[in-house]
Amino acid sequence: MSQETPNSRPQGQGRPQGRPADAGSPRVSRVDASVASPVKFFFASALLWLLVSSVLAVITAVKLHLPGFLNGCEHMTFGRLDAVQRNVFFYGWASNALIGLNLWLLSALGRFEFRNGWIATLGGLIWNLALTAGVVTVLLGSQNAFELLELPRGLAPAFFVAFLLAALWPAVAFARRPTSQVFVSQWYILGASFVLPVVYLLTQLMVLWFPTNGVLQALVHSWFLQNFLLLWLGASALAAVYYFLPKELGTTLNGYYLTTVGFWTLFLFAGWTGPATLLGSPLPLWIQSSGVVAAVMLLIPLTITTINFFGTLSRDSGWSRSWNNTTLRFVAFGLVAYTLAIALQIVFSARSLNAVVRFTAFTAGQQQLLAYAFVSMVIFGAAYFILPRLTGAFWPSAKLVHLHFWSCALAVVGSVAGSLFFGWTQGAALAAGKPFAETVAPQSALLGTVCAVLFLIGHAAFAINAFGMLTSCSSSTDEGRHA
Amino acid sequence: MKNLNLILAGVFFTVAAPFGGLLLSGHAQLGALGRAPAEEGGPLFPAKEPGLAIQGRQVYLELGCVACHTQQVRPAGQGKDIAQGWGVRPSVARDYVLQSQVALGNRRVGPDLANYGARAKSDAEIAAHLSAPAAGSSMPAYAFLFSPAKDGSLQPNERGTALIAYLKSLRQDYSSPEAKLKQ
Repeated sequence: MSQETPNSRPQGQGRPQGRPADAGSPRVSRVDASVASPVKFFFASALLWLLVSSVLAVITAVKLHLPGFLNGCEHMTFGRLDAVQRNVFFYGWASNALIGLNLWLLSALGRFEFRNGWIATLGGLIWNLALTAGVVTVLLGSQNAFELLELPRGLAPAFFVAFLLAALWPAVAFARRPTSQVFVSQWYILGASFVLPVVYLLTQLMVLWFPTNGVLQALVHSWFLQNFLLLWLGASALAAVYYFLPKELGTTLNGYYLTTVGFWTLFLFAGWTGPATLLGSPLPLWIQSSGVVAAVMLLIPLTITTINFFGTLSRDSGWSRSWNNTTLRFVAFGLVAYTLAIALQIVFSARSLNAVVRFTAFTAGQQQLLAYAFVSMVIFGAAYFILPRLTGAFWPSAKLVHLHFWSCALAVVGSVAGSLFFGWTQGAALAAGKPFAETVAPQSALLGTVCAVLFLIGHAAFAINAFGMLTSCSSSTDEGRHA
Repeated sequence: MKNLNLILAGVFFTVAAPFGGLLLSGHAQLGALGRAPAEEGGPLFPAKEPGLAIQGRQVYLELGCVACHTQQVRPAGQGKDIAQGWGVRPSVARDYVLQSQVALGNRRVGPDLANYGARAKSDAEIAAHLSAPAAGSSMPAYAFLFSPAKDGSLQPNERGTALIAYLKSLRQDYSSPEAKLKQ
């Protein structure tokens, strides 16, 4: 194994900036050009879904304090829009972007020219068509009762095949190249790309196609959800962090020798943590306790990533350099969120604490901390690095980059802090014996709406910038320039 | 760690271990769980749902009610669900064995519904709540589940009637071998 080291690529461009007045187009290397088509497809799809998700999030947030809002039509019921928003965010935005990001990372790390890009693009096309069909079906009135499995089971084969084409096949193809170098990021990408299809397939079979008995469905679902969040989204985002942090800081990773243990312990324990999200449920106690033990064991990978990442950031004024680098500003933000998210998961798997916050907004805040404040922010940071290299264009506007960061950062801090605070206070009031109706804080829904609008503004700024760049793409490669 | 076959094999093991340790073991324990009487010779519980309630369950799922309502009563010491009046005993695995799709839920924007049928007073009360929720409730009105009758009043239509039947069928107020009701 070898450690990611800085190479000859241009380093971070300093403070967020758009096109320099006297600059030409950045170069597109041959390696980048080989993956440009599928990666741009995945990022463009992800962006469109992100906008859809943001608009839906505003509508559902308003509905929580004004239930009559857009309530004239059955298809706009909160229960349906909420499911659609969640699926669009996780399968449309996060998964599309991570498939694209993983593809780019694999080719960049291997200096490998990807020859069959159309296969990945075909996978992406199937993925997005399946998601569109799923969204329409849910809006028309057919959904399942399990988070992130709401889409009709008939679409599962399409998602499965699409993922094999778009992510697993390229990952295995890249990873099996005859080379002596294997990077930490590649372990994570390979692991994530292997875990998702296997877990998705087994879960579909056991929950929707041949349902297991009663509450076992909830157990299988919790196993799926934790794998999806920690080992698909989380591990893919960690792969990006292991790449960008040392590269953009131009340094080696602190405590590199620990990365093997960090990788294996995360994969070993994350899959067992599902039942820790079902404490107090009708499942047997031994199953719930296994989940709690596994959640506590996440302390090991958390400690290692903390040593790796924060140790690296603490050297040579790494924090201030990160703040002045567009990509690292997002990545460092994400790292703090990741650490908090896993730490909260460990602490709140304690039965007494879990009993207080379970079923309140607190758990939604925990999920947002991981899926948005960590995963999405890392994706944004990666996009600021990758897209100029794929399109041969600069980001059109530095102001929009600032607007994007500050809107999303403020929104996610406000939203997560609000969910944690109001979730905890509601749980504490319920524990003190207050009637349920008196424990609901209307300020919580209001704050949620303000944050949803801020998210929409930030995402619109990002989308305008990104589509400006994607549509002005230059096809100039190193080769072309030399000719 | 250069051997990628080894990495793939290791990752396979990390997926297989919880699959076997949690899911298959759980299945071995609960996979064949069925209805049972609280005492020998007594009636079997949980009771079978009437046909209309089964249709109503579909309406409940279609509308995504699970986004805001759970259907599980936690034991005393793990939350105050029973003190809230949401159930008379904790939910047990056997309560769910007849459900083709279990809607335990994980968020309570509204109250738990595991034992709603036992505390709802009448069909009319449920209908009134669905057509015009009380002020201050986060729940929207489900006008499309109702049609105007000849006398001008709103009456539940076919789907509305089914949903009401389903909500009334939600009961966990019987004794089961794992959770006996206190006499």
